[in-house]
Amino acid sequence: MTIAQNTVSLPGRFGAGGETVLRFGRTIGLPVGFAVLSVVAWEILCRVAHISPELLPAPSAVWDVLTGNPRILIEQALPTAIEIVVSFAIASGVGVLLAIGITFSVAIREAIYPNIVMFQVIPKIALAPLFIVWLGVGGKSIVTVGVFIAFFPMVVSTATGLVSANPDVLQLCRSLTASEWQRFVLVRFPYAMPYIFAGMKVGVTMAMIGVIVGEFITAQAGLGYIIMFASSAGETATVLAAIVVLCGIGLSLYGLVGLGEFAVRRWYGGELPTSGLV
Amino acid sequence: MAVDTIVSRTRAVAAPISVTNLPTLRQLRAVILPFATAGAVLLLWQIVCGLAHIPPVILPPPSEIAGELWHILPVLLHHAVPTTLDSLTAFALASALGIVLAMAITYSPLVRDMLFPNLVLFQIIPKVALAPLFVVWLGISSESRIAFSAFTCFFPVVISATLGFASADASALRLCKSLTASDWQSFLLVRFPYALPAIFSGMKIAITMAVIGVIIGEFISAKAGLGFYILYASSRMDTAAIFAALFVLCMIGLALFGAVALAERYVRQHYGRR
Repeated sequence: MTIAQNTVSLPGRFGAGGETVLRFGRTIGLPVGFAVLSVVAWEILCRVAHISPELLPAPSAVWDVLTGNPRILIEQALPTAIEIVVSFAIASGVGVLLAIGITFSVAIREAIYPNIVMFQVIPKIALAPLFIVWLGVGGKSIVTVGVFIAFFPMVVSTATGLVSANPDVLQLCRSLTASEWQRFVLVRFPYAMPYIFAGMKVGVTMAMIGVIVGEFITAQAGLGYIIMFASSAGETATVLAAIVVLCGIGLSLYGLVGLGEFAVRRWYGGELPTSGLV
Repeated sequence: MAVDTIVSRTRAVAAPISVTNLPTLRQLRAVILPFATAGAVLLLWQIVCGLAHIPPVILPPPSEIAGELWHILPVLLHHAVPTTLDSLTAFALASALGIVLAMAITYSPLVRDMLFPNLVLFQIIPKVALAPLFVVWLGISSESRIAFSAFTCFFPVVISATLGFASADASALRLCKSLTASDWQSFLLVRFPYALPAIFSGMKIAITMAVIGVIIGEFISAKAGLGFYILYASSRMDTAAIFAALFVLCMIGLALFGAVALAERYVRQHYGRR
């Protein structure tokens, strides 16, 4: 009896909502509790071991920076956030369009797709200095770096989604004389939705990486610039405060994509069709 | 006949795009076309550079890049050594730590509930921003780059390995229990083989991220390495040298990725492709 229960509980799903309050408290309480405990341990360690604040400032020192002059951080966060959103939007738009092209033309697919997959693998971030040579120092080259990095996961994911539509349904549409456009809107696109959002989730993270690296090597403003500047000045508390703000931006953008996915799912009526997924 | 063509056309459109499978002879076109496209782009690039008189600082033609590559190859190879070694070390560290932590998560529900949501959260936040901190902590030597790179590529390994371990067939595990297999035996004989595809897909992400991590580390602090060389060449506006260094870097990236893919093939064959 216990053996069977043990084995059944072993491959349990992660983060699955519990049925009881106790289970709920465990799935939410434990990770949050662990995080809080880590921060408290960090604070105590810094105080007890007298670690120099240049090496590792205590969480309270970081909090002081965050609450002390939030205006500077917000002012610097603004260009970073705008650059991330712009490069993510461009990468998503261009990525989905190219993926549609790939799906509709076999020639385009066979010619371009393997090259795109190869680009997925190579370290594209190394091209950042090249964009600076081309576009100069400033927002334009930073956005381009972000777009260039976020674009490839978008294309690959969307293209995989668009070809994953159930062939039976497509055939049915054909026999009902649906036009190419109707088939796309009514079958392919809904089938591709989970893939598009998966690509967008990777894309938004990538856009952040691109923008931050761009700011590291070129910017005169933005959180990446603040991080570089403060770290060279030994103001580690400011670095960590900027990272906290950056994480906030990252999590809210990721959350927005998640919300978008939720809304689209509702629009298409509950669960998206996921049969025939790879 | 009409039905035939309809069916075959639908099939052709709906055929899954294969990433890992090697193309068969029938798909020779699928091999030639991408190369031809790449070649055509290079040719167009060369012609446009020649006709439009684009200054080489902005965009040198491929022929000039090839010449530059040949010319500075010894320098580039010299810089490629630390980049490759740092990437490999970071990848090995991240993979080993990631798989061990995934095992702990699999076997202890407490560790799982405590850590896994936090790990997923870390996967989302921009870890790149921490790069300068690693320099503050570990200096500008290669340790800081290895640590930073391992830090960035550790998370995909843990998460995919954990999901892989959890995907093991429950009835196979139950069978092991009833045959009185020890925890270790059922791990080695059931969970691990089941998790291999997931572990390797995590490792494939990790090897790409490892190179990216090392390059970012070299951008912000280094005295050698291809990232350092690229930044140095860009400050001299030596665009041909940037491209040559990028070419070498891409080759390293592809070779490392290929090595992981080959290892996957080998290991999965060893386990009989379940």
